[in-house]
Amino acid sequence: MAEPKRLTIVLAPWCPHCEPLSVTEGNRLARRLKIPLRLLDIDHAAQEKEADRLVRRYGDSAPDYLIPQVFLEWSDGRVQHLLTGFSEEVPRTARAWADLLRSAWLRTLIRGASG
Amino acid sequence: MRRTGVVPPLLRRALAPRTPHCHRHCDRPQRGHNLRALAPGWLCVYACPGGAVSVITYSEWSNADPTARLLPFVRAHTTPATLVRRRDLRLARRHGPELGAEAERYLARVHPPRAVSTVYWRLYPFKKKDGTVFRLFVCFRHGTERVQFFVAPGNIMSPPCPKCRVRTR
Ligand SMILES: [Zn+2]
Ligand SMILES: [Zn+2]
Repeated sequence: MAEPKRLTIVLAPWCPHCEPLSVTEGNRLARRLKIPLRLLDIDHAAQEKEADRLVRRYGDSAPDYLIPQVFLEWSDGRVQHLLTGFSEEVPRTARAWADLLRSAWLRTLIRGASG
Repeated sequence: MRRTGVVPPLLRRALAPRTPHCHRHCDRPQRGHNLRALAPGWLCVYACPGGAVSVITYSEWSNADPTARLLPFVRAHTTPATLVRRRDLRLARRHGPELGAEAERYLARVHPPRAVSTVYWRLYPFKKKDGTVFRLFVCFRHGTERVQFFVAPGNIMSPPCPKCRVRTR
């Protein structure tokens, strides 16, 4: 059965929705799932290419797309888009992270992994 | 089951910002003005009492990207239309777990899974050659079906709309 393999966040270090908020919360989520966290910086040429690929293929694509975008990669190759930062103030994205971390979806996923 | 695209009130509540304030203008609370001008989704203009706009959102309960519906609408309602650039429209899909328990339960009942797709149009304040900062304003005087967007110096409260030449409320 497929299981979570890696968490990836597409981000930019100058964006307050990304750092420190999403790096901190992403670390928390990755720890809960016992998987590594990968950060892809869109201002870093090599990382940007992979970031663009993920966003175009699985995320919320636009010419100047929103960040952060968070993806869960599965052992069977599936990539699941989990979260895109809100266009509103940072507290709105913070609330989305808080909701995600206490969601029924995450509880079920952790139960499945341990059971 | 509801028609694809229509965003029910429970999901609107989960998506809405809590207390948006009017940054760098009047610091008063902004209100979401729901417009019926675009179907089947939910079109909302966040503006302060002086007409300054922070963001325009269009959401559909559908996995499909609704940008192609919002773009021509805002172009048709903005003076000049060239203010609306494709790269200022940005998509975000919400799947449920990031929207709180109530919305998560609601969205989990639907199979196959359907996200809520929102497009944001945000025109950031910009400086003209003489140094004046301009920002986006809205006029609702033409009725919510024929809303007008325009730019004016950002320090003005309720600037006159170029279409009706009267002051916005
Ligand atoms: Zn204002
Ligand atoms: Zn007017």
